[in-house]
Amino acid sequence: MLRRILLAAAMAGAAAFGVYWWLTAPPIVLAATEPAYTPNLANGQVVFNAGGCSSCHAVPNQPDRLRLGGGLAIPSPFGTFYAPNISPDPADGIGRWTERDFVNAVSKGISPRGTHYFPAFPYTSYQHAKGSDVRDLFAYLKTLPRVSGKVRDHDVAFPFNIRRNVGIWKMLFTDGKPFTADATRPAQWNRGAYLVNSFGHCAECHSPRNFLGGIIAAQRFAGGPNPEGEGWVPNITEKGIGDWSEKEIAYFLETGATPDNDTAGGSMARVIKNTSQLPADDRAAIADYVKSLPPVEGPPRPPKAQK
Amino acid sequence: MRRTVIAVGALMFGVGAVMAQQEIAVQQDNLMRGQAKSLYDVMLKMVQGKISYDQKAIDAAIADLEGSVPKIPTTFATNPKQDVVNSTYGASQKVWKNKADFDSKVPPVVKAIADVKGKIKDAASLKIAYDSIQDKCTDCHETYRVKLK
Repeated sequence: MLRRILLAAAMAGAAAFGVYWWLTAPPIVLAATEPAYTPNLANGQVVFNAGGCSSCHAVPNQPDRLRLGGGLAIPSPFGTFYAPNISPDPADGIGRWTERDFVNAVSKGISPRGTHYFPAFPYTSYQHAKGSDVRDLFAYLKTLPRVSGKVRDHDVAFPFNIRRNVGIWKMLFTDGKPFTADATRPAQWNRGAYLVNSFGHCAECHSPRNFLGGIIAAQRFAGGPNPEGEGWVPNITEKGIGDWSEKEIAYFLETGATPDNDTAGGSMARVIKNTSQLPADDRAAIADYVKSLPPVEGPPRPPKAQK
Repeated sequence: MRRTVIAVGALMFGVGAVMAQQEIAVQQDNLMRGQAKSLYDVMLKMVQGKISYDQKAIDAAIADLEGSVPKIPTTFATNPKQDVVNSTYGASQKVWKNKADFDSKVPPVVKAIADVKGKIKDAASLKIAYDSIQDKCTDCHETYRVKLK
């Protein structure tokens, strides 16, 4: 009898592990040949600036935002992530990557070795990007300076350090769908919606997250506690910045100056360094879309606690 | 009785200490607000054309910044461990974890102010001056200023 129970338990365990293994496996990406493509470097640069790549991947504490040697520490409730080297260095960066490797990384969060990336890399937003934009970005990154030096491993505790678990996380919090335009809205609004929700990845910071670190969809853009630890990320729906005009939002993205005569600090200072480089039309488009976000009440701010 | 005295005394001492810390936070906040007034309420508003160009106001703003910015390292010497009540911005605890790095962000601002002093003559030169100073302020705000609301 005991032997039977043990056998049944072992089989159940094996079956459960099998299901886990299947659920967490990175999808097999076929090495199908894409149609030939001539990348548009100028568009790649726009995508680079919209995506804020250098906000995290530029070498910290040096002035050149195009040196993408990584190393920035990104604290989170799950541990500290370190932005990797994405310069074209063949040994330490992505110099040996194929275009396909890059598209898989950015759009699906899968490394060239077939493992899941942690969602500190905002592929949750980048998944909505157009394939041609991702390919243009890859071509543009190839033109930037090579920076040598491997970045240290992430400092993430068990069980969050098991990359396979990210497979389940992806099932919960990504849909893999490309951006679809709203035909009832003008082109400028749709361009803004695309930039904000794909490369701009605004919602990644400006939304509260649940205990698994997934964005709470109903409160998207409604701000919340800064996942990096100190302070508060503002609500950017009508509820939060309803008194800003479209022009003021665009001006903020260009200069960092707010309508109440202050300037952006914190991570937003780095965002402005990127958005200030965008074409004015794109900033206007982002402003158009952000201004249209319906008012959403964000999470309640905790009472002022003394540190 | 003695116990009560000690208890009340300790309580008052505690309240006093908390108030003193709030006082420190307020002093730090006031220093930054004063600079914000010169840089944003005067220079930025003129850059934006919200108020008209005024040479006297600009010269006063630059003189104020010149005197006030070098005070940052000393005014921020003590960690108040709290934010000013109801304020929108505060100082990150990183200021006191990396005080030497924080302090090293100040001389570039001082230099940017010195570089433009006496060179602002019109709207165009004002914009260049504002951008160069603001750029150095942001270098520090990026790491050490925290938005609280």
